[in-house]
Amino acid sequence: MKGTYLGEFQEIVLLTILVLHENAYGVSVQEEIEKRTGRGVSRGALHTAFTRLEEKGFIQSEYGGATAERGGRRKRFYQVTNLGKSSLNEAKEVRDELWNSVPKIALQKIQG
Amino acid sequence: MSKLNPHIAPPAFASRLLRWFCHSDFHEELAGDLEENFLKNTEIYGLKKAKRKYTIEVLGLLRPSVIKKVRLFNYQNNTAMFKNYTLVAFRNLSRNRLFSAINILGLAMSMAVALLAIVFVTEIYSFDEFHKNKDRIYRVNNIVIKPDGELSVPYASTSLLAAQKIREQVPGIEKVASFFKGFYGDLKTENETYSIEGYFASKEFFEVFTFPMVQGNPETALTEPYSLVLTESTAIKMFNSTDVLGKTLLRRKTPYTITAVVKDPPRNSHLRFDVLGAQSTLASETRNSVLTDWNSMWSSYAYLLVSENRNLEQIQASIDQIAKEENAKSQSLNAKLRIERMSDIFPGEDRWNEVGTVMPNQRLSAMIILALIVIFSACFNYANLSIARSLKRAKEIGVRKVVGAKQGQIFTQFITESILVSLISLILAFFLFRLIRPEFLSLDFYISRTTTLELTTSTYFYFFLFTVLIGFLAGCIPALVMTNFKPISIMKGIANMKVSEGINIRKILIGIQFVLSMGFAILVTLTYKQYQFALNFDLGYETEAILNVELQGNDFDIVKSAFIQIPEIEGISGSAFMPSTGSTNSDHAKIESKADSVVVYSIRINEDYIQNLKHEILAGGPINDDLQKKQMIVNEAFLKQFELGSPIDAIGQIVDYYNENREIVGVIEDFHYGTIYNDIQPFAFIQSEGYLNYTNLKIRSKDMNSTMAKIANAWNSIDSNHDLQASFFDEDIERTYKDLSSSMKTYGLLSIVAISISILGLLGMAVYTAEARLKELTIRKVLGASVQSLVSLLSKNFVIIFIVSAAVAIPTSYYLFKNTIAQNMEYTINIGFWELGSGAILVITTALLTISSQAIKAAKANPSESLRSE
Repeated sequence: MKGTYLGEFQEIVLLTILVLHENAYGVSVQEEIEKRTGRGVSRGALHTAFTRLEEKGFIQSEYGGATAERGGRRKRFYQVTNLGKSSLNEAKEVRDELWNSVPKIALQKIQG
Repeated sequence: MSKLNPHIAPPAFASRLLRWFCHSDFHEELAGDLEENFLKNTEIYGLKKAKRKYTIEVLGLLRPSVIKKVRLFNYQNNTAMFKNYTLVAFRNLSRNRLFSAINILGLAMSMAVALLAIVFVTEIYSFDEFHKNKDRIYRVNNIVIKPDGELSVPYASTSLLAAQKIREQVPGIEKVASFFKGFYGDLKTENETYSIEGYFASKEFFEVFTFPMVQGNPETALTEPYSLVLTESTAIKMFNSTDVLGKTLLRRKTPYTITAVVKDPPRNSHLRFDVLGAQSTLASETRNSVLTDWNSMWSSYAYLLVSENRNLEQIQASIDQIAKEENAKSQSLNAKLRIERMSDIFPGEDRWNEVGTVMPNQRLSAMIILALIVIFSACFNYANLSIARSLKRAKEIGVRKVVGAKQGQIFTQFITESILVSLISLILAFFLFRLIRPEFLSLDFYISRTTTLELTTSTYFYFFLFTVLIGFLAGCIPALVMTNFKPISIMKGIANMKVSEGINIRKILIGIQFVLSMGFAILVTLTYKQYQFALNFDLGYETEAILNVELQGNDFDIVKSAFIQIPEIEGISGSAFMPSTGSTNSDHAKIESKADSVVVYSIRINEDYIQNLKHEILAGGPINDDLQKKQMIVNEAFLKQFELGSPIDAIGQIVDYYNENREIVGVIEDFHYGTIYNDIQPFAFIQSEGYLNYTNLKIRSKDMNSTMAKIANAWNSIDSNHDLQASFFDEDIERTYKDLSSSMKTYGLLSIVAISISILGLLGMAVYTAEARLKELTIRKVLGASVQSLVSLLSKNFVIIFIVSAAVAIPTSYYLFKNTIAQNMEYTINIGFWELGSGAILVITTALLTISSQAIKAAKANPSESLRSE
């Protein structure tokens, strides 16, 4: 189905939002991803991912808490919608199924 | 978290950039996130690195999902809105008839001038574009090195010898086409004689240039001596057919065989010819020195077709080498050879000995600049009036904004409106253009000889494009002003709105317009006076009622015997050419006892000339036609130059002049043999020795028409092949000053346009001011102000503008006149107060009349009319 495909990075973003639970906004998501995956994420790339996910209806957002260190600007908090959650589950199921179908022997690293 | 330090702030440029490109929906979130990160980074990495990271992040945000949607119209139903804009525009136009008329008329006038410029420039730039190899054709110029090392103005011509040497020696050149501009005169078929002009062209002519053949083989057409190529129209004129290969024509009793017929050279070719003769013919004629003499560079031309991978520097170097060798061999000419691109010929720099008439670059740029000036003047008008009247539309804008119109939409609306106005003006401008086209074509010979101003599809396209551009330009400032109106202040009350910033701009715009109008008016006055001065200049002899008839190769005595029978002709004389019309001839003269030779100007005349043109004889008498004794008559400047003392003393002196020892037989008073551009130098009349080209008829007649008919009859009785070519001396002189009269006409036309536009604009402003201050005026009137004081109240501001404009315009136009028109003149008018002032006074008077008419109307109005509604 077009539009509901979940890209790898998008999946990571969705999961990170879930991890952060109530405190998922731009900076925290960025930091969390960097911390967990060890890869640098630009704010721009993150923005694109947010936009796509929102278009697909996987996340929703609302403004909250302005702080001084943001120049008085509000944060935008993200939440994963039910659709997003089911899509995550679906992706996980597909993977699990695949994992389960892999013969053990195939996973042995080739020697030499 | 850190304490907030005002010095720790993200780089201003980057954050401004972000604000600029970022969609407003995301800006708050993104800018906030970035700043939060920035502060953290400052603690971890320090300020410098944090700033760098911030900038990189901002640049990383340059992606489609973040960037503002760049859409001109942020809504779906554009067409509906455009319909509405057009409707509102038309309503506005018809509600303010006067202002619409002023705007449309002003724009139309200036656009007519601009259309002219567009057609003119497109036509000029189309020159020589039809040659297939146009980018690879170069022309060889000769630059003469004078004995003192100075370089002459480049000559368009070069020697055929140079062409031949280049053909033989220079690598990197595919073909060299050369031609000699000497194939003129008469061509005879069996029973008719045709006067033609053309070149002796080398056989490569058709390989270098693109002149398609109708008949014949382009490669061999000009190979054999006495081959002849006709243009299509010449062939049809002579034989009524283009199927003429192999036929012969007589030129100077020698038969030439037609080997080809080519299509007529297009109008936009700088090379024009009726016929081409094979250049190889010259070798078998007596004039073969033309082919072999380094010094024969006056009427021959060479065009090079360079190869695709040309190396121009190398080519120029080899050509320099040729020049060096030939200069060493030649005693009579020291010259440089230089190549120039075909596209630089027309329009081009000033060259001597051009093949045909070439439009000088300066004329083209002058034309463009003048058109631009006029256009801007009209755009100013539009801007001025629109800004002035913008308050009237403030409510409309306020309502639109409140309902939800974005700035861009308001801007689009007013641009649409001004483009609409300029499109309406285009229609009017087009009619005006047709009206002034013939005037423009007759302006000067550069224009009439080179252009037709015919309209093509591309010019129509340019017209349209230009009109939209003008609409945009004119509408830009008012649209911006109105876009920036704040709905809140409009709704609060128009009376409180500040438009004072606009007033200064408007004053400056009006000022510029008046500087232009006055400047043009003053230039016209000066040029007109100078022109009249040149025509009525006391030449020192009489030109009145002298009819100059070209002999066109006929023997003077035969022509004289035909004319002498006409009773109205009082005197007949002959001359080689006419003085005071710009032609001069000169040679070095030397007197045995005096050391230096001196350049002396001269004209060949017959014995009746001095008396016929009433020259004042100071000593001696006229020349007689005794050829045993060579004679000359000299002027006073001649005596002074050679220190010959009194006129009587000079009689009998022998002068070596034009290869003969000539005796001075008479001395005449100084007269102006040149034009007002030259002062009087030593001059001599010498015996005709068969070199007469004109006969000068002194006519006394009450019925000029019948006399002219008699003269034409007499002419036809002796030469039926050529039409009578006659003109009065005064007409010849008038023609000499054609460039003066054409500058006069140009400035005249422009000043009419500029003055009309500025007066129209002023009228608009005056009407507006009177309307806007109507209440103030009526209250003043009710309280006892006189009409006079009200008028002066309204005019005061304008008068200051006029005075400042005059102060700028007068010195500028004086300077322009001195440095352009009168630059090379020896004799100019005295410029006094009236010459300079009259133009300015005329403009100011017209302007004041315009203003006061409106002021009086406002001042005289019945106070109850305007106060009743309160």
